[in-house]
Amino acid sequence: MITFQNVSKSFDSLKVFDDLSLHVATGEILGVVGPSGSGKTTMLKLITGIVIPDAGTVAVAEGAVGYVFQEPRLLPWRTALDNVAGPLRAQGNDKAGARAAAAGWLERVGLAGFEGYHPAELSGGMAQRVSVARAFAVEPRILLLDEPFSSVDTTLKSSLMDILESIIRERRTTVMYVTHDLGEARRLADRIVEIVPGCGVRRFQERVAGR
Amino acid sequence: MMRSTTSHRGSLYAVLGVAAILVVWELLSLVVNPAIMASPVDTARALADLAWGSKLWVELLITLKRLVIGLAIGAGAGLVLGVLAGMESRVRSFLEPLRWAGMTIPAVIIAVLAMFWFGLGDFTVIFIVALIVWPTMYVNTVSGIRSVDPRLVEMGRVYRFPRRLLLGEVYLPGIASPVLAGLTLSTGIAVRATVLAEVLGALSGIGHAFCRANSNLDAPQLFAWIVVLLALMAVIEFGVLRPLRRRIMRWRKGAG
Repeated sequence: MITFQNVSKSFDSLKVFDDLSLHVATGEILGVVGPSGSGKTTMLKLITGIVIPDAGTVAVAEGAVGYVFQEPRLLPWRTALDNVAGPLRAQGNDKAGARAAAAGWLERVGLAGFEGYHPAELSGGMAQRVSVARAFAVEPRILLLDEPFSSVDTTLKSSLMDILESIIRERRTTVMYVTHDLGEARRLADRIVEIVPGCGVRRFQERVAGR
Repeated sequence: MMRSTTSHRGSLYAVLGVAAILVVWELLSLVVNPAIMASPVDTARALADLAWGSKLWVELLITLKRLVIGLAIGAGAGLVLGVLAGMESRVRSFLEPLRWAGMTIPAVIIAVLAMFWFGLGDFTVIFIVALIVWPTMYVNTVSGIRSVDPRLVEMGRVYRFPRRLLLGEVYLPGIASPVLAGLTLSTGIAVRATVLAEVLGALSGIGHAFCRANSNLDAPQLFAWIVVLLALMAVIEFGVLRPLRRRIMRWRKGAG
């Protein structure tokens, strides 16, 4: 589903990956843990294609990719409904169809009745749920989670994880879940890889998920 | 409730400010030669005379037409070029000398040159207004595009927004605030440019009427035309630009 083959990537003089190889199987939930600045987000950006490797290849199966960012990244001038509908329109759906599907996903994440709210009118947790709805609305074959719970409190984190986990298991989505919190990764992931920074070169160390 | 009270208090102070101007104006007119300083009462009388005849409305409409067309062309060009330059650094470098020249050459030089090329009339005034207005809108738009949140652009790219959707959903709403600020600035500049152009290069319009009143040493009418200009700006700002801003920026209502 996702294969990194001998990937190297540097930003100016900072070498982030050197000869990285990794495979994520279909339907697998891979947790990637490591300290801040270790290149976890770069891995996700390599998968989306917005960052290009200096050497090696990143092969990704055809199909939509959903992405939940660390912060909600909602368009402040659009309502919750239109924020979810936007990527659907990018896929070629008409406005009415996109909005209907978006409303369904907002309901799924517990935000029925908040369709017409702008991000500034939503709490941080609600905004992140809109972001989760947006990621699932595109019917992703691959879901990329970039520390999606880092900016919400513990209670909200738990309810958000419940929502995510139920949808992921139900749809058997392939997930790459990046976090610096090993406990979070253990809860959700089938397999965990750890980025071990050292000598300016990142290498992976595999762990078996404690679940 | 508190916001409403603050707003009412602001309006009260604005009214007091206008009253203070009128009082100072009246006092000045008592001590300065009336041939060069008309009193508020004489100005109001001259204004009423202009309004009763058709002169005020004819000149106002002529000026308004030139202003709107010149502003639309100048601000429209500034907006389009600003979007292109903001998104593409090569376009920005290419346009930089033009922007620099547009902002450096004094308005009066542009007006004289336009008269030299095109003679007197509508086209000359519109040309002058457009040429004076575009750099302000351009600069605001470029800075707006460059300040669009890169994280939102990245979100759009991750979700494969086509260029048109990225422009319509991310860039254009993202630059609304600086563009509206640019439009407000441009409108003020356009009003001044229109009057300047009419003084120098037209045989009609408020600027020309103002010039004639000056030649006739008709101080009350001279001041009446100034009041007309201020009223025109007030209508544009409070009747058009502010409601437009409120409408476009209504998504900010819950911010903070």
